[in-house]
Amino acid sequence: MSFKLLLSLLAVLLASLLGGCEDSGKLTLSQRSIIYCSEGSPQSFNPQLSTSGTTSDATSKLLYNTLIVFKGENNILAPSIAKSWHVTHDGKKITFYLRKDVQFHQTAYFTPTRTLNADDVLFSFNRVLDPEHPFHLVSGGDYPFFQGVKFAQLVEKVEKINDYTVRFILKRNDSSFLANLATDYAVILSAEYAEKLLEANTPNEIDISPIGTGPFYIKDYRVGSLIRYYRHEFYWQEKAKIEQLVYDISPSKTSRLTKLLARECDVSSYPIAHKKIAERSDLHLESVTSLNVGYLGFNTQKAPFNNKLVRQAISLAINKQAIIATVYQSQAAYAKSILPASSWAYDKNTPELGYDPARAKSLLEVAGYPEGFQMDIWAMPVPRPYNPNAVTMAKLIQADLKKIGVTVKVVSYEWSTFLRRLSLGEHQSFLLGWSADHPDPDNFFTSILSCSDSKVASNRTFWCHKEYDQLIKKALETSNINKRKQYYARAMHIIYEEAPLLAIAHSKRFQARSTEVEGKILSNFGGVSFHQVAKALAYDKSAKQAAQLNKVNE
Amino acid sequence: MLTFTLRRISLFIFTMLALTLLSFSLSFLFPGDTVINHSGQINATVTELAKLNEAYQMDKNLLNQYGAYLSHIFNGDFGQSMASQSPISAEIIKLLPATIELSLVALLIAMLVGIPLGFIAAIKHQKTSDNIILSLAMIGYSIPTFWLGLLAILLFSINLGWLPSAGQISLLFEIEFVTGIQFIDILLSDSPYKWQAFRNASAHIVLPAFVVALAPATIFIRLSRAAMIEVLAASYIRAARAKGLNFSQIIFRHAIRNALIKIIRHVGLQFANLVTIAMVTEVIFSWPGIGRWLIESIYQRDYTAIQSGLLVLSCFIFIVHILTDFIYAALNPLARGNKHGS
Amino acid sequence: MAREKIYLEEVFPSPFMQLWEIFRKTPVAMVGFACFISLILLAIFSPLLAPYSPVDGNLDMILIPPAWHSDGNVSYLLGTDELGRDMLSRLMYGSSLTFGLSFIVVIFSLVIGVVIGSLSALTKGIKSSFLNHSLDVVLSIPSLLLAIIIVAILGPGISNTVWAIAIVFIPQFIHITRYAVKEEFRKDYVLASRLDGASNFRILYYSVFPNIVERLMSQATLAQSAAIIDIATLGFLGLGAQIPLPEWGAILANGLERFYIAPWTVYLPGLAILFAVVATNLVGEGIRHALKLRKEN
Repeated sequence: MSFKLLLSLLAVLLASLLGGCEDSGKLTLSQRSIIYCSEGSPQSFNPQLSTSGTTSDATSKLLYNTLIVFKGENNILAPSIAKSWHVTHDGKKITFYLRKDVQFHQTAYFTPTRTLNADDVLFSFNRVLDPEHPFHLVSGGDYPFFQGVKFAQLVEKVEKINDYTVRFILKRNDSSFLANLATDYAVILSAEYAEKLLEANTPNEIDISPIGTGPFYIKDYRVGSLIRYYRHEFYWQEKAKIEQLVYDISPSKTSRLTKLLARECDVSSYPIAHKKIAERSDLHLESVTSLNVGYLGFNTQKAPFNNKLVRQAISLAINKQAIIATVYQSQAAYAKSILPASSWAYDKNTPELGYDPARAKSLLEVAGYPEGFQMDIWAMPVPRPYNPNAVTMAKLIQADLKKIGVTVKVVSYEWSTFLRRLSLGEHQSFLLGWSADHPDPDNFFTSILSCSDSKVASNRTFWCHKEYDQLIKKALETSNINKRKQYYARAMHIIYEEAPLLAIAHSKRFQARSTEVEGKILSNFGGVSFHQVAKALAYDKSAKQAAQLNKVNE
Repeated sequence: MLTFTLRRISLFIFTMLALTLLSFSLSFLFPGDTVINHSGQINATVTELAKLNEAYQMDKNLLNQYGAYLSHIFNGDFGQSMASQSPISAEIIKLLPATIELSLVALLIAMLVGIPLGFIAAIKHQKTSDNIILSLAMIGYSIPTFWLGLLAILLFSINLGWLPSAGQISLLFEIEFVTGIQFIDILLSDSPYKWQAFRNASAHIVLPAFVVALAPATIFIRLSRAAMIEVLAASYIRAARAKGLNFSQIIFRHAIRNALIKIIRHVGLQFANLVTIAMVTEVIFSWPGIGRWLIESIYQRDYTAIQSGLLVLSCFIFIVHILTDFIYAALNPLARGNKHGS
Repeated sequence: MAREKIYLEEVFPSPFMQLWEIFRKTPVAMVGFACFISLILLAIFSPLLAPYSPVDGNLDMILIPPAWHSDGNVSYLLGTDELGRDMLSRLMYGSSLTFGLSFIVVIFSLVIGVVIGSLSALTKGIKSSFLNHSLDVVLSIPSLLLAIIIVAILGPGISNTVWAIAIVFIPQFIHITRYAVKEEFRKDYVLASRLDGASNFRILYYSVFPNIVERLMSQATLAQSAAIIDIATLGFLGLGAQIPLPEWGAILANGLERFYIAPWTVYLPGLAILFAVVATNLVGEGIRHALKLRKEN
């Protein structure tokens, strides 16, 4: 082995690596594709089965369509798969007229023989509603969103009028029913595909290798690493502008930022270091005001938080302004209660437990803890729009509570373990939040704190208050806006008195993208969409530099 | 050679038994139910659990249990991951090649850089260049790998924009999984972007491979320097000089060859060191290898994955160890009689 | 080594003193030694020296760059982190965790390793051979990997990390003590004192140990530098020291999120680790160099 040989080997290595950076051919491939750095893996490819934001990001608006959608600034209901609908006067019968030209995905594992019709709609909703349905128990039989809004108790049945007409018959009037159908969870699956899977005795596949009508279909999924989507060529609307969409699953915040800065992904979810991104001319930071709330919840079934006074004391001892300045970098609105100010039901006279450590201390004495006590706070390991950094928030709370003699232990688990253990009630207090699925205020009141949700879904305070439950039920049964407002104001007052949780902030959802990427990705509700997104031709500085380097190499 | 081979094989079997015994006992040491730790089936129903208990012979004595565990391992059944509920053997087959690829490239770089530098230092023994090389080697040896990796990303990926910072290849390229070694898979694939993919993959491996290579390279500098100094002091070199061979003839014909043999002996041990560094580096460069997977399994308390991952990784390290022993023995007849060689 | 004395008298400094005489003539080694000693002092007295608390932050002073930066603040010499904690104080406290703990771990495993090693050096036969083989297997696994394995069993945390590293180093010290003691026992002076009727223990204590102590020290510095890197790496991976402990690797991992807006939270702890390891290695190199020279003399 001579030095010459070594040198030439090194030279070859160097040449191959320098050549690897830029390439005229790859530009075209990259122009037709977008890499999205996402913060986690979806729990399932069927959004009916999960309320996690990551899951709806990766599925709802990419793979599926819903009967109706929210449109525009004011979130007005608009047609989608249903080209029109009709509600009877008593609000109990709702008829949908379907489009006739909606094609399902054609993939390596399924070729559809027909377009979407009433059977598919019936299949999708009966799977959720009917416990006897052959697919009801597939993938666990939990439909958290639908259970949370008590869908099965509300819907009497779903009827097929003809091939392209479907009618929902409700047991009572519910003012949030249509809004629920427009959420990311009420997607339409393929009945034909389900039948085929049942014959092959592999029903589980329906949620693993999904078939929908959305603008993209799944080409490849590698657990924990990437999801590759291809464009649906026969999409019923204008087809997507990009051919390939890759979800690069990067749970680490730093690696997402690094990939964005190094231009290894075009769009990044939940970016950190906003200042750095703003400095770069080739990157663009954007945000949407989404309806959400980040809160500290107390396990009201466990001592000492079964005592209302202790909950109030802890709430009084936390400096929310400091948290908003540090954790949210002042990019969030101060929360007085669970409902954001932008909701129509918001009452600006809502009382709140402000920052008052002295009163907190005296309340603790009344409650019988003059010396303070020890507690744990469970902090989510992942950034969510409502809480970009729960661990830091927990540390701040830890410092605040130390002043009133309460010692805090911060606990964190991997995301899915965290949620599972939380549902078992192992915690004393926890940092979590809620992103609205639709603009109806009921979505906050029912999902976060109702009795039914304390058993099955998203109420991890396990708080169950009779009067509160009555109020939010009454609010749903009337369509008189003023009356609903009054009910919700009263409900917020009960939350103030009982303090099952401390609402901290309503924040924006952030996203960073390369300036080459054009089109709307974020929406106010639910998942991201890439239907209207395109990549501009790169005539910026970096492309020129690349071209020059290429010449030098040649 | 025969006794040498037999001795190595017996050592191999002894070690494999020790490693499987360790991994078997991990199931008892970890919290939770032993059979669930073995199989990873956290959501098993009562009947499934009974079946598992029978398969792992949990009602019999420990020796039988160990036997049942071994037979599962030999059938390639490592249980399933507690976190993802997919078979661990399948995950390992996907991940191990990436680690092998990174480690081999790094080993190559470490040897190509370290050995010549060590030789130069030895030839210029106790001169300025020797001191410079030794000082550099010491600093290189002292830098924490993870810090070096971060600085490399900051400099080469972000500030200069020369090299990518994460992964094995740009995700835009669809490369069919055949061997798992990315370069081979690219060459086997029928992608229209084959050569671009190849270049892209080589650009991706540069940073992590150099970061992994740094510490072993400094060790190779020391080893080769020591070996070369020893060889140069040997009598056959003096004899060659007396014969009138010039300096470069002595170095290239005699000294290098003999010094290299001494170094090969240490390659096995260095490889183990290198794989450990690779584990940390994989985390920083999001390299889809077994190290990152193992560390994530520790975060998630995925005991089945930890147990099997460790078993596979240590077996792999040990196999490489034995292989280098064989290569050394084949090259150097003196080593075969050595009774105490490890 | 001639000395002027009034009476002509041969002075034989002990082997250890001979080594020290050579060691202190190497300037680089002495610099390393000075750094090493000051790190030890820092590790002991950091609570007295540090200007601020390492855990409680000042929320009005978040992410201030180091003082030499134009936005810096002199009262926070090395800047602050995202919770307004003083980096200098954190790094000073960190010296007692990363450096101090590694020092304690090495001393601990040295003592245990020497005891077991010298006892095993006196045994022979199958027990000894079994020990030899087991040691070979353990020693062929790199220390960091072994530490990761042990932490995986014990669970993450700083105390578990320390135990894991101690368990990793004990075999190394057993091995080197055993080897050194066996070698010394073959020498003539041991035979001489044995003929004088000295017991094995006496020989070990009065004859053998003074002659192998610097070899153990050289091994200890190697172990020390490995221990610093191992503790920091485990801390960085989130398997070692947990938040809010100011362990250097953990500080670095914590700063990672703000690498691009507050790079000092990453490069300062990295430099601290590098400094500690280089100081340790310089001392080690100095000892080995001196050992070699003494042998040649």
